[in-house]
Amino acid sequence: MAIKIRMRGKSKGGVAEIKALIKHPMESGARMNKATGKPYPAKYIDMVTVSVNGTPAVNAQWSGAVSANPYMAVKVKANAGDEVTVSMTDNTGDKGEEVIKLK
Amino acid sequence: MKRRSFLKGTLATGAAAVAVNAGLLTPSTVLAADWNKGAFSAKTTDDALSAVYGSSAATASGDIKLKAPAIAENGAVTPVEVDASGIDGVESISILASKNPMPMVCEYAFAAGAVGFVSTRIKMGETMNVIAIVNAGGKLLKAEQEVKVTIGGCGG
Repeated sequence: MAIKIRMRGKSKGGVAEIKALIKHPMESGARMNKATGKPYPAKYIDMVTVSVNGTPAVNAQWSGAVSANPYMAVKVKANAGDEVTVSMTDNTGDKGEEVIKLK
Repeated sequence: MKRRSFLKGTLATGAAAVAVNAGLLTPSTVLAADWNKGAFSAKTTDDALSAVYGSSAATASGDIKLKAPAIAENGAVTPVEVDASGIDGVESISILASKNPMPMVCEYAFAAGAVGFVSTRIKMGETMNVIAIVNAGGKLLKAEQEVKVTIGGCGG
């Protein structure tokens, strides 16, 4: 299942702040299901990459301690018209990708 | 035969773990390709830092702007912002929560096209310190702030 990402970015003086809101349960694997007494299986995003015009700028590694439906903001050197891609995978192999053109 | 192959297996994984601990297999901080399992499964902040950077000695720095709430009403969504854009040559930023069962929360590695800035939301189980570690030119810098959590973030 594809991971849904909502993304925004605006360049100001050569630096663009990229904000992304991701729809994901971020289940750490430690939370107990009280009804069954077993933990909910782990499902969290572990790798996130932000690229500018195809060149990776930020590589993030996450654990299950990042909040559910994660928010992420990073700053990259980019100008209006540049293409910014945010792509990610979770520990079960689900992938998500979103591309925007900077204003 | 079974016992033999079992022993072989444990020896092999043991050796790999030792290599990771010794920092031999630690992926380079420049846009590492593999998820750093050693760091994220470490039980203490020192172990986690050693697994990422090969050292846990970080100097406190006033140049890191760490923004976190003094009181978090809901520990499951604690906003944390680390601004290290005033520091030259930032290679990576890590965020740790000191008393979480596994303190390492996330690590951001930066290439030349990025600025040392991260904003995110993390889970915190109880009142503890948020630690931001900035790796700039091989030097580890640290900023720390206590966050009081009134409702825990781990299933409570």
